[in-house]
Amino acid sequence: MELAVAPPAGRSMLAGSVPGNRGIWVGILCELTEFALMFVAWAWFRFNHPEDFRAGSAMLLTGAGIANTVVMLTSGYFAVRALLAIRRGESRAASNWLIGTLVGGIGFLLIKAWEFHWNIEHGVVGTGNSFVAMYYYLTFNHLVHVVWGCLGLIWAILRCRFGAYSPDDHEGLEAATLYWHATDLAWIVIFPLLYVLR
Amino acid sequence: MTTRTSPERQATWVWLGLVALTLGSAWLGESAASAMVLAAVVAGIVAVKGLLVIRHYMGLTEVGSRLRLVMRLYFVVVPALILLAGSLA
Repeated sequence: MELAVAPPAGRSMLAGSVPGNRGIWVGILCELTEFALMFVAWAWFRFNHPEDFRAGSAMLLTGAGIANTVVMLTSGYFAVRALLAIRRGESRAASNWLIGTLVGGIGFLLIKAWEFHWNIEHGVVGTGNSFVAMYYYLTFNHLVHVVWGCLGLIWAILRCRFGAYSPDDHEGLEAATLYWHATDLAWIVIFPLLYVLR
Repeated sequence: MTTRTSPERQATWVWLGLVALTLGSAWLGESAASAMVLAAVVAGIVAVKGLLVIRHYMGLTEVGSRLRLVMRLYFVVVPALILLAGSLA
């Protein structure tokens, strides 16, 4: 069974080329390197302050983390559907899938805002516990990337609405969705580090 | 014989798999599993989810691509870090 989401026939990827464009991959690799350093910091603090991590993880609202993850994965799925639609020349459908992706991103931000509000009301603040400090460090940084991703999606939606993309030329749309998936990848790691592991 | 699944249907299955793995790991986190077992399973789930997104959502399917290698390596090294942190905790 063939499983890959490949470009349509007649637009096969050239050897050595990359999905989207090289520029977005520089950004994606920088983003993932930044998060890799944060993951090393998480491991370092977990090793040196295990009691903070045991107490800290129990203070978080696991349901909010699960909701964030499901929304992010669903939003990523919509981004894939947008790319598939434009490859078929369905510009209107691609635009609608991109709007769905953006709504997912905004939903992610709203859940996080509510979670931070809940945290503050329940005394989960970034002082006195290295786990909670890491939690804010990781989630705020990720939040910034979600905002960048949303801005990229808005740009791609506008370009799509004005008919800038076609089955043969949709590099900008693909780049915006790739960045979105990279932000999803970072969250795939962050979620268990903060909400699952004890 | 090769059966070709529509890309839309394939993307839907991948999304369902990713959500199921997320819910599974959350359930495991609430169970009585030891920290080491939890770290091992979570590391495996993170690796599978990452590799699924890289292949099926980002479209990095070209055999021999250095970019694909780097991205795949990321989801070997980071789970290894999770496993190491779990074994030292």
